[in-house]
Amino acid sequence: MARVGVFVCFCGANIAGVIDVPAVVQEAKKIKEVKISIEYKYLCSDPGQQIIREAIVQNRLTSVVVAACSPRMHEKTFRKALLDAGMNPYLLEIANIREHSSWVHQKDKKAATEKASDLIRMAVAKSIANEQLHEISVPVTKRALVIGGGIAGIQAALDIADARIPVTLVEKSPSIGGRMAQLDETFPTLDCSQCILTPKMVDVASHPYIELIPYSEVIELQGYVGNYKAKIKKKASYVDFSSCTGCGACTQKCPVKVPNEFNMNIDKRKAIYTPFPQAVPNKPVIDAEHCTMLLKGKCGICAKVCEKGSINFKMVDEVIEREIGAVVIATGYDLWDPKPYEEYGVGRYKDIITSLEFERMVSASGPTNGVPVRPSDGKVPKNVVFIKCIGSRDEAKGIEYCSKICCMYTAKHAILLHHKVPDSHAYIFYMDIRAAGKGYEEFVKRAQVETAATYLRGRVSKIYKKGDKLMVRGEDAQIGQVVEVEADLVVLATAVIAPKDNPALARLLGVSYDKYGYISEAHPKLRPVETAKAGIFLAGCTQAPKDIPDTVAQASACAAKVCGLFAGDTMKKDPMISTINNEFCSGCLNCIKVCPYQAIVTEEIPLGHGSKEIRTVAKINEGVCQGCGSCVAICRSMAISLAGFTDPQIINEIVAI
Amino acid sequence: MNKLTYFPGCSAHGTSEEFDHTLKLVMQTLDVQMEEIPDWNCCGATSAHVMTENLALALPMRNLVLAERLENKTMGIACASCYSRMKGTKKHLDENPELARRINTTVIDEGEYKGTIDIKSMLQYCYEEIGLETIKSKVTKSLSGLKVACYYGCLLTRPKDITLFDSPEYPMSMDLLMEALGAKAMEFDFKTECCGASFSISNTEVVESLSGKILEVAKESGAHLIVVACPLCQSNLDMRQPDIEKHTGRKFDLPVMYFTQLMALAFGYPEKELKLPKHIVSVEAALKHIGEAIPEPEKVKKIKKAVEAESEVE
Repeated sequence: MARVGVFVCFCGANIAGVIDVPAVVQEAKKIKEVKISIEYKYLCSDPGQQIIREAIVQNRLTSVVVAACSPRMHEKTFRKALLDAGMNPYLLEIANIREHSSWVHQKDKKAATEKASDLIRMAVAKSIANEQLHEISVPVTKRALVIGGGIAGIQAALDIADARIPVTLVEKSPSIGGRMAQLDETFPTLDCSQCILTPKMVDVASHPYIELIPYSEVIELQGYVGNYKAKIKKKASYVDFSSCTGCGACTQKCPVKVPNEFNMNIDKRKAIYTPFPQAVPNKPVIDAEHCTMLLKGKCGICAKVCEKGSINFKMVDEVIEREIGAVVIATGYDLWDPKPYEEYGVGRYKDIITSLEFERMVSASGPTNGVPVRPSDGKVPKNVVFIKCIGSRDEAKGIEYCSKICCMYTAKHAILLHHKVPDSHAYIFYMDIRAAGKGYEEFVKRAQVETAATYLRGRVSKIYKKGDKLMVRGEDAQIGQVVEVEADLVVLATAVIAPKDNPALARLLGVSYDKYGYISEAHPKLRPVETAKAGIFLAGCTQAPKDIPDTVAQASACAAKVCGLFAGDTMKKDPMISTINNEFCSGCLNCIKVCPYQAIVTEEIPLGHGSKEIRTVAKINEGVCQGCGSCVAICRSMAISLAGFTDPQIINEIVAI
Repeated sequence: MNKLTYFPGCSAHGTSEEFDHTLKLVMQTLDVQMEEIPDWNCCGATSAHVMTENLALALPMRNLVLAERLENKTMGIACASCYSRMKGTKKHLDENPELARRINTTVIDEGEYKGTIDIKSMLQYCYEEIGLETIKSKVTKSLSGLKVACYYGCLLTRPKDITLFDSPEYPMSMDLLMEALGAKAMEFDFKTECCGASFSISNTEVVESLSGKILEVAKESGAHLIVVACPLCQSNLDMRQPDIEKHTGRKFDLPVMYFTQLMALAFGYPEKELKLPKHIVSVEAALKHIGEAIPEPEKVKKIKKAVEAESEVE
């Protein structure tokens, strides 16, 4: 005879504010199998769990029903309570009377109370048919794949590798370093970006536990947490990295000049190039789109000057495979193209540039040797107008969100401008100054005091040319007047956006992404570095715009998660998966077609007892099955059963209402 | 021959007679038969839509119903303000069928509103339906040598969701049209800035300040004259120019012409057909530039030289 305990939670006013909890408790007592039915303010709290534990022991319960919030929230909590009381945790059923009743029926308290009782009746009936289940152990491949070699990927890779877990770091471009390598100095301390980043880049290259695969992309991911298989495409670099010494003779002699993307196209690079002098690995690649040898079969100078014979024009893309247990996505960000700002003359006026272009110019290693100049005539600008929120917080032309970093880097730019051109003056048009962060407000104050920059609160409505100056017309909302500033150079703080390849990558990895193309975290507050897919984590701007401190913190958090996952030799897995009774299986194999996880394989068994003839039936791979139930629904022989959702359990539920 | 339903608006029969007249000449050359809507009425323009919604919708609706009766695919509108009111009303009515039925009862004597006509400004009609190639083919007297600043005003391309034509901030259709006639369209930042519009009557100072800025930037661009497609823009920039000059102490001497006047000229019509005496700022001197060779700017010369030098090295 079943002995069920029912525990109804107030959830503060979340449930009790709508549902008459004592009435529900009384109603549950009328069910024959219910031996105890009680209420408590917060069942998830320790005293709440204590009540459940004691009740289990005292009443010798055979199953437990907790009527509270969604199982997504606290199923694990209550299973643990059962386990602590010496009971199989899968004898728990949750009646979700919060999301499914009190929250959605706030206007009809009576109906909400009745529905809560119904949900409890169903849960009780189901729990009577619950079986004892046991967690499954699956082996773990202890290797992490990090996608993206910016500061997020670098930090995650180093932290994981320092725990002596092998890491494969895949970077799309020829060198790691990412956006941070393009920066000059960093807020709020003005450390030189290169000085703090390049040692980490070198650490990556020399770390015994890190395998760095530059100039390559992940093209396929199969498997499940702890046991993924990744296919990585190594793009043809036409340079044999193993023999190349990085002497640079080839890049010097190459006659083909191409806009240099690392310097925001301000200067030119060659068709065979390393993106920047501190690149890691410091080996050149050939840009197949521009190399005349690859395009027309003419030139080949690089091959002639290479003493090691490392140039190989016949190289082709190569696909390699790695078995891995976890993935860290760290693909970084792009910047919004300000073209829609036609009233500013974007695209028509050379002296309107983006912040990253300005950043490259003030960089000591940049194309203008650290001095900002006007692209139109090469003169050093005196009056520089910085305009914030270009594309950010702009529903009409750009995106709705705040890009978070622009307030800070624009303050930094004002300081850098002042350092490089002491007799210059910065005008900063802003909507708000958002300087939340350690030392951030102080930094903005410093910019205002040290450089005497003019902060103008208001939007710029028009930029037009007057002689060789740009007239910037905007509103100064604090004096309620239109102001015009004569500028030599205008710098637009363009919005941070998700990399355009993010959605394709997300689909390939099987994780979700938001409407902007950012990879979605599992929970915005409580699981910020995990995706909804087990074993896949995220770090840095691939999730949302963030600054370097936040990115590094998130990357280290990812590493901690990966290390946790790999802590044992095997991994525990939920036992609520499908099983096939192969005596009933007719071998139609429709289940294989509908399984979204490739978790079903074929098996050959004897036709009958002692028979020599064989027949083909379906078989579940326990490690891969996620318990979605698709196969159960398609099976016409009713040979498949899903643990935790068996036919008797479901039928009991239906009969109960 | 193409047929076009024509809504002139009140200006075309008064202050912008030269627009109306040259438009008809140009359309004749382009083989377009214009059918003026019989018994058309005021579009409501600047006053109706700030007073009462019903009137603001009923006035254009009556015109739309009358226009539909002519059974041409497109209605061309000369005045930018009429264009904005009529096209805005049509969008509003089409999106709210219940409202359309209610307003229709006011003008039911004229007939039932169907929402079938396509509304275009005359600039839009020339650019989209006739096309630059056809216009180019009709040019008998190239306007080469003439530098123009194309001024679109605020309503021809805005709001974007209503006009669905060209860029709302930096349109190019009129510039390209002028280039097709042989003229040189100058880079002009104030193409879509406000001229002050109907404040011309109630607050002239505002118009003088705003139009003054437009004239200043147009002069800066190096243009010989300003080209417009809106009667109110024309009158503000032309008629107020002497006063603006007096108050700012700057001499502009910038005639303001309709694009159709320049089209007519390029199509070979004699100057007297352009009704030039209607202009406040004399056009004569500006038109003398036609036929002049425009020297290449120093910068372009330098760049060309540099490119040549570089290619020689390679």
